[in-house]
Amino acid sequence: MPADPSMKILVVDDMVTMRRIIKNILKQLGFANVEEAENGQEGLQKLKADTFGFVVSDWNMPVMTGIDMLRAIRADEKLKTIPVLMVTAEAQQSNLVEAVQAGVSNYIVKPFTAETMQEKLGKIFK
Amino acid sequence: MDQQANKLYEELGGLARFVENAMKTIAEVGPQIMSSSAQLPTASSHLKDLNKMTEDGTLEVMRLTEVIQDNCVRISKELRAVVETLQTMDCVTLAQRLEAVNTAVTEDDKHLTEIMTALSFQDLVAQRVKKLVTILDEVQRKLMELVVVFGVRQNGKRLPDNGVADDLLKQLEASNSTAMKQEVADDILAQFGFK
Repeated sequence: MPADPSMKILVVDDMVTMRRIIKNILKQLGFANVEEAENGQEGLQKLKADTFGFVVSDWNMPVMTGIDMLRAIRADEKLKTIPVLMVTAEAQQSNLVEAVQAGVSNYIVKPFTAETMQEKLGKIFK
Repeated sequence: MDQQANKLYEELGGLARFVENAMKTIAEVGPQIMSSSAQLPTASSHLKDLNKMTEDGTLEVMRLTEVIQDNCVRISKELRAVVETLQTMDCVTLAQRLEAVNTAVTEDDKHLTEIMTALSFQDLVAQRVKKLVTILDEVQRKLMELVVVFGVRQNGKRLPDNGVADDLLKQLEASNSTAMKQEVADDILAQFGFK
């Protein structure tokens, strides 16, 4: 199913610059309904409090990491089907395998371009 | 038997003297270690300042880029409306020129997006700086422990043993030597059935 441009997207990253970059790219791709969270715990709270169609998350964050948030999402009956895209500098093979085992929908290695984000969105919402 | 015991005492005596000399030497360099390690919090502080400065600078560039991006979208919309009006008035040449201007504006909008994504360097640098700060903090703690163990007393409190410096150092080294490109990540994802 193609991505709905009006769907609410949650961007989870502890770095304000990275959140702004991802929001900007999503806006360029036609997705303007974007919310932010600074870590996995805040992300999880927002996901439980509202309806989101897509999550873009960093890996390394204080309080709760992206991989822990992903596991919590997949373990939650209401949230488990939300597509989660990991955007991270943690680009070692073991990290990627761990993310796949935890149920990641796709994976982007930093630094990345708008084209890569568009390609991954296309694959997730095909 | 006595001869063997004498030899053993001799060797133990030698060993004791060696240990005593080593402890004296370490105790002598203790003040220097303390002095050097006292500089480490300043180094950490400078690194944290660097993070803040690059973050502030990056955010300002982002703010201005977004302003120009919004202008590009507005100009493009206006130009398109003018082009459509001119076409209905049969001003073909003028319409073509304005269309060319519109194309240039649209291309610049793409360049601005590229500027935004290029600014992700700040996030990558900040992550490495954070790891370096943690390593410096732990090195300082270990140096202080050495000084305390070998006889130079100081007032610093013992910090909890996190044992993370080695791990972070390995991660930093790994970022240099084994950082994976998107294509490699995609190949691995494909092996797991991602298409």
